Amino acid sequence: MSDRSQTTGSLDEEGGGQEPDALRRKLLKLAGAAVALTLAPGVTVLARDLVVKGSGGHKTPVRYGLLIDANACKSGCESCVRACQDYNGLSHDPGPDNAQWIRKVTIVNPKTGFSRSFPVMCQHCENAACVDVCPTGASFRRPDGIVLVDKHRCIGCRYCLMACPYKARSFVARNVSDQKPWAPRGKGTAEGCTMCVERVEAGKPPACVAACNRAGHKAMVFGNLHDPKSAIALRLSEVATTTIRADLGLGPSVHYRGI
Amino acid sequence: MRIRAGLWAVLAVAVALSGVWAAHRGRVALPVVARAPGHCVLNTAQMRRTHMMLLRTVREDIVRRDARDTRFRLTHCVACHVQRTASGRFIPVNAPGQFCASCHAYVGVRLDCFDCHAAVPHHAGAGQAAGSALVAAFRMPRALRASKGAGPGGGP
Ligand code: SF4
Ligand code: SF4
Repeated sequence: MSDRSQTTGSLDEEGGGQEPDALRRKLLKLAGAAVALTLAPGVTVLARDLVVKGSGGHKTPVRYGLLIDANACKSGCESCVRACQDYNGLSHDPGPDNAQWIRKVTIVNPKTGFSRSFPVMCQHCENAACVDVCPTGASFRRPDGIVLVDKHRCIGCRYCLMACPYKARSFVARNVSDQKPWAPRGKGTAEGCTMCVERVEAGKPPACVAACNRAGHKAMVFGNLHDPKSAIALRLSEVATTTIRADLGLGPSVHYRGI
Repeated sequence: MRIRAGLWAVLAVAVALSGVWAAHRGRVALPVVARAPGHCVLNTAQMRRTHMMLLRTVREDIVRRDARDTRFRLTHCVACHVQRTASGRFIPVNAPGQFCASCHAYVGVRLDCFDCHAAVPHHAGAGQAAGSALVAAFRMPRALRASKGAGPGGGP
């Protein structure tokens, strides 16, 4: 930062006397990423285009997804659920209004006795029902395929809770405290699995995947479905997999093996 | 005689005005804003006027535009401006009298960021020192800061 600090030139806070354009150019030159420009007391232009852009606009197409191997998932193990709750600041208590971003589901074929246990979370659908029904645009799908709730826009109407066939959305009905800085959540908004978007952007797998690996079950693979060389794409090309309720046509990003 | 009456009148007005002034000061306590270490990402005057617009702009970038790599983040604000109790525990920035709350109480604007966002840093080791290091890495070039040393936390 020291090179920046040496930049000469001064800018008084009210922009006194300078033409706004000249001032703006100067600000651009000096700051690169400066955002606010005060023209006169109380008159401020936000240089919207100057905000540093991050990983938006991926050069290669990215669609994050999961492959869950129900054959490897251990019945009774809840490591992924605990890891999700711990990382995102959710309660362990399965109370009636506690959030469930991920849950263990057990399926049984009563005729044969065949049973499998596996985790289900938001399937980060390509044609997400939650996004379709959301009246405010709060439910949205990022370019990398992660479906999120923008809680700044959510009005708590709970349409998405009704619309999602995977029951992946929860509603926060009470005041929340002690949130994690990376997982803001508050009363009156819908929420669901974020695929641990902060971890993913830091190059780490979601907390559930890491926990499953730590527990030694290695039942979950996370990665970019669009990268043919990624572990998840290679695995998907090798083994027979399906998605839950594929007939609904929502195009989940979460694939399952062994169900 | 007339002069003396005039002087008395002036005195009476002065006393009355000081009473009004005192009452005014007493009614709405001036914010007590602790000085954070280091320099803010913008100068104090700009932060006072535009922090809400910055937060609104940046939240769109972070949440919706997949652009998490911004210099302006609420977590950085909290990391730098949080105070500790004598025993070293963090005091939420929205607790009465704290950095965010005291100004918002003064101007009568409801503060709802921390209904959802964490009002204390996550790491016990964070706070002042870590906050200043963080801001040092992201701070605005000195040339753009209006007044040297007028970091965040200069009184209103
Ligand atoms: S699983 Fe439900 S909440 Fe998740 S994207 Fe699909 S419809 Fe939306
Ligand atoms: S609860 Fe929120 S996210 Fe869900 S549909 Fe309503 S506004 Fe959209």
